[in-house]
Amino acid sequence: MSVAWVGSQPVSLMDAIQNAAKLLASSRCPVFTLDTDVHGTRSAIALAERLGGAYDHALGETLANEVSLFTDHGGMFTTPGEARRRSSLIVLVGDIPASHHDMLVTWASTQPDLGDRQQRSWFHINDSATNSADASKLGRKLKAVSLGAEGLTLGGALAVLRAQLQERQVTSSLSNIDRLRKALTKSQFPVFVFSGASGEAASLVMLQGLIADLNRKGRASSVFLPADDDAWGTALTSLWMTGFPPRTGFSNSLPSYDPVRWDIQRMIRDKEADLHVWMSTRGGKTPPRGGRIALISLSKDEGPTAGAAVSISVGKAGVDHDGVSYSSRVGTFRAVAASAPSLLPSLSSIVQQLAEALPGRRALPC
Amino acid sequence: MLTRLVGGEVVDPVNGGTRQRDVWMRDGVLIDAPEGEAAEQTHDVSGCIVMAGAIDIHSHIGGGNVNTARLLLPEHHAAHQPRPANTPLSNAGWSTFQTGTLYAQMGFTTVVEPAMAPYTALHTHLELADIPIIDKATLAILGNDDFTLSLLRNGKSSAMLDDYIAWVVGSTRALGVKVINAGAAAAFKENVRSFSLDDVVPEYGVSSRKIVKSLQASVSRLGIPHPLHVHANNLGIAGSADTAADTIAATEGVPLHLAHLQFYGYGTEGKRKFSSEAARLAELVNANPDVTIDIGQVMFGQTVTISSDVLRQFTAIGNANPKKTVIMDGDGNGGGGIVPYRYKQDYYGSLQWAVGLELFLLITDPWRVFFTTDHPNGAPFTSYPELFELLMSSSARDAKSAELNATALELTTLASVRREYNFEEIAIMTRAAPAKLLGLKDRGHLGAGAIADVAVYRKGKDIAKMFREAALVFKNGDLVVKNGKVTHYRWGKTLRLNPPPDKAMVKRMKDYHEERYGLSLDWFTFPDSAIQRDAPFAEVSCNN
Repeated sequence: MSVAWVGSQPVSLMDAIQNAAKLLASSRCPVFTLDTDVHGTRSAIALAERLGGAYDHALGETLANEVSLFTDHGGMFTTPGEARRRSSLIVLVGDIPASHHDMLVTWASTQPDLGDRQQRSWFHINDSATNSADASKLGRKLKAVSLGAEGLTLGGALAVLRAQLQERQVTSSLSNIDRLRKALTKSQFPVFVFSGASGEAASLVMLQGLIADLNRKGRASSVFLPADDDAWGTALTSLWMTGFPPRTGFSNSLPSYDPVRWDIQRMIRDKEADLHVWMSTRGGKTPPRGGRIALISLSKDEGPTAGAAVSISVGKAGVDHDGVSYSSRVGTFRAVAASAPSLLPSLSSIVQQLAEALPGRRALPC
Repeated sequence: MLTRLVGGEVVDPVNGGTRQRDVWMRDGVLIDAPEGEAAEQTHDVSGCIVMAGAIDIHSHIGGGNVNTARLLLPEHHAAHQPRPANTPLSNAGWSTFQTGTLYAQMGFTTVVEPAMAPYTALHTHLELADIPIIDKATLAILGNDDFTLSLLRNGKSSAMLDDYIAWVVGSTRALGVKVINAGAAAAFKENVRSFSLDDVVPEYGVSSRKIVKSLQASVSRLGIPHPLHVHANNLGIAGSADTAADTIAATEGVPLHLAHLQFYGYGTEGKRKFSSEAARLAELVNANPDVTIDIGQVMFGQTVTISSDVLRQFTAIGNANPKKTVIMDGDGNGGGGIVPYRYKQDYYGSLQWAVGLELFLLITDPWRVFFTTDHPNGAPFTSYPELFELLMSSSARDAKSAELNATALELTTLASVRREYNFEEIAIMTRAAPAKLLGLKDRGHLGAGAIADVAVYRKGKDIAKMFREAALVFKNGDLVVKNGKVTHYRWGKTLRLNPPPDKAMVKRMKDYHEERYGLSLDWFTFPDSAIQRDAPFAEVSCNN
């Protein structure tokens, strides 16, 4: 089985590496789209640094929204484990991605063993206009009481909730607010569960304002469930490597963070880049089109990527090989063992080979 | 490779004090002068001071909270001056790359991250593994988790507590144990807003004192070389000197390390009810040989406070500058707070600065006082050179004092203390003593058999410049810094203890995690291979 192609022609891995290295060496402004585990991200960022390129995650827009909650505001958070063990009142905020539903459902079958130890109650506040079928299904499974917010955005609903809990006058009201108020009185550690997909950054900041209000006299916190675990893992890895989250570039060899300037999809669209390196171990994902710039694809696909000058198949951490991934189940990184070990090379090993094939033949620090 | 440093003034308190002698190293290890052999590489270090590589025992350089601080403050990195050019990732503030680079340039070759939450150990070690050049180590945090508190509440045997602590230390690859405001993080989750040494954790009925004493005794029984590393209660508040005094008095013959004592040096005297109690604390430390301390010196400017003392950080939200914070109620011993802060040359800042210096200068035994700024809490570690100058020059202190709030300084003893640290005391405080405290027999001195971690400083009138830009630094015999610039990158190791796990405790932990978290223990542990570096860890022996 071939794992490397130049255009649509199968070639040896060495040939593909050499061809890709030539493209990298001649590029003025290479850009890197990442979608991989910790070690793939480490090597990719190190390569971007060496080449003076810029990098972003494949889910860059969503990730930038999540990052902005922290860079602009911060907040009060807890872990999924602590929420499961301690919280008898959980309020879902907005849409929670389907990847987290199983975890929430398992919480529903348990009772807190720390804190007030009451049976757990669930509420769900959402913007009815954008409430997805998945979110509604989750709410039904958890028997969550809906905090109705007809005609309001999620941010608006949260603002109304915040005002109502402070006994301020509001022109709109949320249904079931009295039930929530009563539940808050009984609960010692209410937790609001939200995702980067829950809403705009302003809504998330409003939620944090609400939690700050509750903490003036009592305790409350929030669980942040990233829209995508691998994307959040990439953000954390980028932070320790460069000091910055993604949408970082290495112009003048020094890292700089700029969520507009280093938006890779924008750079491709606006023809600011001349080479796109697509690194996706997710499988079945395709790089964005539109820029007509040269493309190197390192992805978990069985064939060449359409339009790519060079394609190399790589494995996924936790499936094809061991690795380390972020897991929102524990709120940190965990070692993942290969569930279906294969001969597909890891992304980091391919990036290392690319670096060593570049003029100067230096190994990457990762 | 046989290397010789010739002509330098060697400051090596462990092996005979200061004298002019050659230093020889071969294959990464220091050796006695070989007979009849010529060095393959000779460095003339005439006019230079030669010391072992420095060791920092308390600097927050990696792990979840440090990374969250980076996330919270992308605009903040410029505060970490100076920024060297032409090094990889060199303007990235306190990225892992820059952390190793900047430490090495100052002649530091081993740094301890003192606050690793057990459940985030893998994250911490991933970060530490990406810090180039230097060796690292971590202390595992205990004392706020349900398992420890339940053992104490239920009167379980000390052997069981020992087994648990040994399991935590071993599975997290830690070099020791730290307790942070013992019991307060657990109490904060129950809406407790202040917590002192004899306060009791709700639900568990266990006092902070009981937690500290139990952990202290267990660390001692297990033969963990580094005494329990204690972040005491009531950090940073007026009157915290009483808490520190109580904690010092509680040692009762068992060693204990009290972290960042400067933040506990505050009394309630004066118009502002905020005064220096440094002289009193220094006297207590001088009188108690069981106690070692590090300072947590405050320097002026922008920084960010990072602490797993979530209760203290929550109460500091109002002082955040800029106005954004992260407060995290983590699992067990995890979590904490990230609160950016700017130390100003006002009354409070001046008093804090003076309290730290008073402690440095009034504690007489350099073997028991350690050089830290509690990076980045008191100041970034990049301010160390200026701090060395303040310790070694009373005129430098006078000059700086003249810029500060006179009312605050009048309430301290600083102006009357004329002590100046000499090179030998500096070498004890930053090399020999930390190695001894951590149980690292292979470093902190320049005797034969030690690893070849060597820092060479060009002697000059400008003390800060001397320590900011080491003339030469060798790490394990590799020349990594020349004239204050990193010339060679390499990867250090993370130093760890590896006590054998008790099988019954492993089974118990498996059951505990499955029952309480609904997840197997595999989710919380990891193999060394997860770090993806060659031999990322080096083992240090326990005392028994």
